[in-house]
Amino acid sequence: MASRTRRHGPATPARGGSQRRRLPMRLLLPMLLLVALVAMLMLRGYVHSEILADHRVQPEAATDKVPEKILDGGPVIDTRSGRTTSLKVPDHHIVLTFDDGPDPTWTPKVLDVLKKHHAHAVFFVTGTMTSQHPDLVKRIVDEGNEVGLHTFDHPDLSYQSKSRIDWELSQNQLALAGAAGIRSSIFRPPYSSFADAMDNKSWPVTQYIGTKGYLTVVNNTDSEDWQKPGVDKIIKNATPHGGKGAVVLMHDSGGDRHQTVQALDKFLPEMQRKGYQFDNLTEALDAPSALTKVTGVNLWKGKAWIFLVQASDDITGAMVVALAVVGSTVIGRFVLMLLLSGIHARRVRRKGFRWGPPVTEPVSVLVPAYNEAKCIENTVRSLMASEHPIEVLVIDDGSSDGTARIVEAMGLPNVRVVRQLNAGKPAALNRGLANARHDIIVMMDGDTVFEPATVRELVQPFGDPKVGAVAGNAKVGNRDSLIGAWQHIEYVMGFNLDRRMYDIMRCMPTIPGAVGAFRRSALERVGGMSDDTLAEDTDITMAMHRDGWRVVYAEKARAWTEAPETVQQLWSQRYRWSYGTMQAIWKHRRAIVEKGPSGRFGRVGLPMVALFMVVAPLLAPLIDIFLLYGVVFGPTQKTIVAWLGVLAVQAVCAAYAFRLDRERMTHLISLPLQQILYRQLMYVVLLQSWITALTGGRLRWQKLRRTGVVEAPGGPVPSHRTRSSDRRPVA
Amino acid sequence: MTHGYTTGSPESTPSYGIPQQRPLQPQTVPSSSQAPAPAPKKPGRDRYLDLLRSIALVRVVVYHLFGWAWLSVLFPSMGVMFALAGSLMARSLNRPTMSVIRGRVRRLLPPLWAFSAVVLAMMFAQGWNPAKDPDNGGTWGIVELFDYIVPIGAPPYPWHLGHAGGLLDADWADQAAGPLWYLRAYLWFVVASPLLLWAFRRVPWATLLAPLGLTAIVGTGLVTIPGETGNAVTDFTVYGGCWVLGFAHHEGVLKRVPRYVAVSCSVFVMAFGLWWASGHLGPDGWDLNDIPLAQATWSFGFVVILLQYSPSWQELPGRLAKWDKLVTLANNRAVTIYLWHNLLIMATVPIIDQAYNLPFMESDRAASTLDSTYMLWMFVLVWPLIALAILAFGWIEDIAAKRSPRLWPNGAKRGGRRKG
Repeated sequence: MASRTRRHGPATPARGGSQRRRLPMRLLLPMLLLVALVAMLMLRGYVHSEILADHRVQPEAATDKVPEKILDGGPVIDTRSGRTTSLKVPDHHIVLTFDDGPDPTWTPKVLDVLKKHHAHAVFFVTGTMTSQHPDLVKRIVDEGNEVGLHTFDHPDLSYQSKSRIDWELSQNQLALAGAAGIRSSIFRPPYSSFADAMDNKSWPVTQYIGTKGYLTVVNNTDSEDWQKPGVDKIIKNATPHGGKGAVVLMHDSGGDRHQTVQALDKFLPEMQRKGYQFDNLTEALDAPSALTKVTGVNLWKGKAWIFLVQASDDITGAMVVALAVVGSTVIGRFVLMLLLSGIHARRVRRKGFRWGPPVTEPVSVLVPAYNEAKCIENTVRSLMASEHPIEVLVIDDGSSDGTARIVEAMGLPNVRVVRQLNAGKPAALNRGLANARHDIIVMMDGDTVFEPATVRELVQPFGDPKVGAVAGNAKVGNRDSLIGAWQHIEYVMGFNLDRRMYDIMRCMPTIPGAVGAFRRSALERVGGMSDDTLAEDTDITMAMHRDGWRVVYAEKARAWTEAPETVQQLWSQRYRWSYGTMQAIWKHRRAIVEKGPSGRFGRVGLPMVALFMVVAPLLAPLIDIFLLYGVVFGPTQKTIVAWLGVLAVQAVCAAYAFRLDRERMTHLISLPLQQILYRQLMYVVLLQSWITALTGGRLRWQKLRRTGVVEAPGGPVPSHRTRSSDRRPVA
Repeated sequence: MTHGYTTGSPESTPSYGIPQQRPLQPQTVPSSSQAPAPAPKKPGRDRYLDLLRSIALVRVVVYHLFGWAWLSVLFPSMGVMFALAGSLMARSLNRPTMSVIRGRVRRLLPPLWAFSAVVLAMMFAQGWNPAKDPDNGGTWGIVELFDYIVPIGAPPYPWHLGHAGGLLDADWADQAAGPLWYLRAYLWFVVASPLLLWAFRRVPWATLLAPLGLTAIVGTGLVTIPGETGNAVTDFTVYGGCWVLGFAHHEGVLKRVPRYVAVSCSVFVMAFGLWWASGHLGPDGWDLNDIPLAQATWSFGFVVILLQYSPSWQELPGRLAKWDKLVTLANNRAVTIYLWHNLLIMATVPIIDQAYNLPFMESDRAASTLDSTYMLWMFVLVWPLIALAILAFGWIEDIAAKRSPRLWPNGAKRGGRRKG
């Protein structure tokens, strides 16, 4: 493709150099944010066992390699430093053990019952649950109970490698250290039961865990409370025979445990009456406590871990809320758009509809041009075909490529060329305004082509004396490339849905620089164009609203423009728009508290624009992050179906917009890809604008364009170009 | 581009049209400092296609070495190679058909013969008797040996040869001769090309999409053709789409499709491929080579996008320029590299095993370090071995193309022309 340097303006080598140095910055911050967000999500998924969880359970195996004395021995198996012994709980002692917790609902109730009956127990906690509910673990320990390890995320260890077992144990200890500042030396393997259930698969694991310094604790009686067999059955299952001591297995997590709690409340006093004592394991065995205090680095590592998990939980929660808010506002906006744009189309297409008396007076067309040598001739020629009487003013903003000479050489009547030193697009428009002879001013870009009817259609709304400005319908000419097709979809939706909606709501935020018309008296009342912002078209439109003028949309006033063809060009264009819009909103912020039409716009239009152009798109990537997470780890099918659903809503809206504009639907096949790729680009651009706005950009609010502060992170945003904000499709 | 507005879509555009993006004839305004209009394209090597072929070759070697299934998704090498070959074939077919086919076959066979001679000698030396092979066997097994000379089928080989713990793995023959299916497929495509091109010029879309449709029939178990014929037909349909895409690229049909249409439709086709793969995972999971329909659709879409953006470089731009010599070498020796690479991957094993005998490798720690980095060393070693194979056998490609043989044709001496 022929390169069109005018899009970049006269870039100096010096600026090119600084661009290269700063280029990574604009990618770096969004990337960092994204990585942090994804890391948080992964951490959360991992702690909630959505990632890396292994739910396989080993079937029973032969037992010929397990020593006889272990199979027949007690539930506390000691394989530390080469030992192979097991211990029994003395008679009239019961060690209650609760597995898989802590659980936010049931563990406190279990603890309450234990406390009520002055009993102690052992809680074999998993690392994932400990990380999520650290305060419960602290309470367990503070009330005189013991905690033991039950691995990090409850896999069957006989499937796992030694390094995974090491990791399961150390990660579990890390969580304990962070939650209660202790480490534990007792361990219960997941899916374990009685000592005589040891087999050739689980025995090596038990031996290995012994070498790491842990006592393995299985049980004598299994309450089978997880099957919810009823309170009496649980008690029957748990009760040891003949006054013997026992380790009793119960669960305080993994589902509804109200039977467990009720059974405990009966079991404890019953057995205490029979002379039983409920101790924790080391009390019952009369051994030193299994818990030791953790200090120093390990303690802080544990605390950091717990902090991270809590933070990731909180952030994910907040993101889900934000997502719900964004989702519902976006859907609500779509519904509103469909409704209002339908009303608008019906109203202006009604038979015999007219704004007022037909406008036939001649108008002035201002064409600010900066280095438009390639396009200006076409632009001017298209105007010559106009069906409406016009005078054309080409304001050459210090071009270096002979733009002015080309126009003069055409030797057309009604076309005047005004030259000025390069001073920017607002200055050029103001100069044109000063030189214009007529009372209606049409503004267009130097690379835009009008249809013969465009000017006539554009000025008809001025038949209504309340109308101060009119937005035309800009169309993308180069729509066959991918990026062109995406912008085509965006433009058609922006002009046929957004602008119609804003028209009805009387708060259109922008008249596109490519095709717009103004009443001279209105322009003069608000002081003409201003270079306070990068988006002088948004700025002037907001000023019009505040001055009480109506701003309307003329659908038949079509102007053909060329959309950026490279990501780089698109980036810098959108960066200007996005940052310029933020500047304009900030500039007109006082409208929110003012009275009259200004206040009305301030309280309806400004929040709308702020919400949908500045805030909501910032949260939009959440959708994609959750989508990706869902596809990779979550319910893949549901996620994809949900995404297709959202896509279908978009497609319906887009199809409606295309129908309103009588465009061929073929371009809509690039909609899915647009949703995946284009939105990410827009998001990064917006984020970059935010960063600029929040760091230093605000300090030089008034003089931004001259100092060139904003162009540094934005890449090629030349400071002195005329077309600072051309043909905006949305808002 | 003063007269650039002459085209436009007929329905929604006024008669004077809309700004056109890619002017066919840039008429630059004299005063502007535009780059001069690109000179008319010289017939020569399209370095973009060369680059693709080199990437495809490297990807094949890396994939065969590490066995990472995801590589088959990342870059569908075989599809790309068939598309490039198809494009060249369409270009050649301006000349008389028979001589073109003869030329292609002549260029293909001598390098194969050299490879066959070495591999067969090694197999026989290890005691393979094709007549008594349990998998092939009988007289037919001997007849099939002919495929080592003219690969109308994939040549037979013993699944297990030698013994475990021998110098080479027992499946070395499978590894070495396995990639030969590509030559069979290539030969089939070359022979079928005149017919395919004839069909393509008459009904382009049907010819382009027919292979995908056929893959859906023969590549999904709907219809199963037994034996080597079945393999051949399946491969033909799986990659037929890519081969015909090569035609479409050469004939300029792809350029006539608006880019947004081509890319969007490709993405749909590729998404279908991934979806199909997700429901039909093979023994190696996402390895598309085991999932014909997924391979066909994914490769097809991928190739459409690659060819749609085909920028027709006269030379490699920017940072790619420094790879110029390697790209040239890989393209001049593509057949040699492809034929020998897998055998050479096998050959790295006995060489690296020598390292265990080094004096400083006595300790367990050193040995286990070597164990865990073994693949890495294979990867490092295979490239010098490939270089040796190029030196030893590469010149046969020149002879086959009726050129004077060159030892190291990386383009440094402005040596020969292109290979087929």
